[in-house]
Amino acid sequence: MFSRELTVSDLERLDRIATAAVEALQMDEDTFRAFYDRTARQVWAYLARITGDRSLADDLLQESYYRFLRAERAFTSESHRRNYLFRIATNLAHDSHRRGRGVINVPVPEENEAGALADGRDLAAETARRTDLARAMATLKPREREMLWLAYAQGSSHEEIADSLGLRKSSIKILLFRARRRLAAALGGQR
Amino acid sequence: MIARLKRLRPRRAEMSRGVSQVRAGGGAPAPVNIECPRESDVLDALASARWPNRVERELADHVASCAVCQDVITVASAIQTDHDWTWREANVPSSGQMWWRAEMRARQEAIRDASRPVTVAQGMAVLFALVVVVVGGWFTWPSIHGLFSALSSGDAQSTTASTAFASPLFMSIALAMGAFLVLAPIAIYFVMSEK
Repeated sequence: MFSRELTVSDLERLDRIATAAVEALQMDEDTFRAFYDRTARQVWAYLARITGDRSLADDLLQESYYRFLRAERAFTSESHRRNYLFRIATNLAHDSHRRGRGVINVPVPEENEAGALADGRDLAAETARRTDLARAMATLKPREREMLWLAYAQGSSHEEIADSLGLRKSSIKILLFRARRRLAAALGGQR
Repeated sequence: MIARLKRLRPRRAEMSRGVSQVRAGGGAPAPVNIECPRESDVLDALASARWPNRVERELADHVASCAVCQDVITVASAIQTDHDWTWREANVPSSGQMWWRAEMRARQEAIRDASRPVTVAQGMAVLFALVVVVVGGWFTWPSIHGLFSALSSGDAQSTTASTAFASPLFMSIALAMGAFLVLAPIAIYFVMSEK
């Protein structure tokens, strides 16, 4: 009823708004691309393992970087920036878990053919080991999975873990101990 | 692997701050070590692939007698192996593609946000117009009905019709509707043309 054709001035105004939105992103293209190349695989691996769902990890990866770019924050260091990205990824994984998507399942490793790896290890044995880990991880709480992955896959310090998960640094030590104990027991029970 | 080794270094400081203890649940409280100062050495050995075959004898002996380090070995070796595999399997979009998508999405969201006030204003205007028409019709219906009755009875000069048109209520509603019909398009034009 009230629709009308867009005028040239309307289009110019919308273009100005869109350009301003792109300029307001956290980083310029070159900085972003370098940061992304350094971190994307780590973030994907983290999301894939804590959600247990590869396609969900793909979606959450994109959303994590987009929200990171839109964040109006000043970062003091690369580590701060990286922790913030992991925090976004963690929160998104929690959201999808609450919505019922990303209920942890046991992903079957993609390569499960018998054979030997380049370093002499047995491929079938490695695949079985990964499946055991996935099963054991599935018995943990999401927070425990996240903490263990950050600590032992990413090599994050307690402070970094606290920063990434939004927890107090003082509580990490005991929480990590409990999570580690539970996972060790679960892995031990499968052997 | 080297990157992970570098990242593991800060943990040494955290672990050297002493061995904390917690009380085990139930029965007599027994102290339980929740961390070990050698944990970082164990993680270094794992990350550099020295564990279990090329590790120092002394560290191997320590691990054999330390429950914390045994748990660390079990958990960290499984997670690190899985991480290396998952990292290799990761099929992430290129950085250029990711940037392009983010840029497009930021543009679309900005345009959608900018046009949202116009949509709201349009909806409000339609709603307001409908309310005015309904309310106006409700109040003026007796007058209009009287006028048509007078006209149909052939008495165009009857006092009923002139009274209906001259009533203050009818005049004020007619004025309000007229003003609305004139002002609403102007208001909508200004809302839609510039924010």
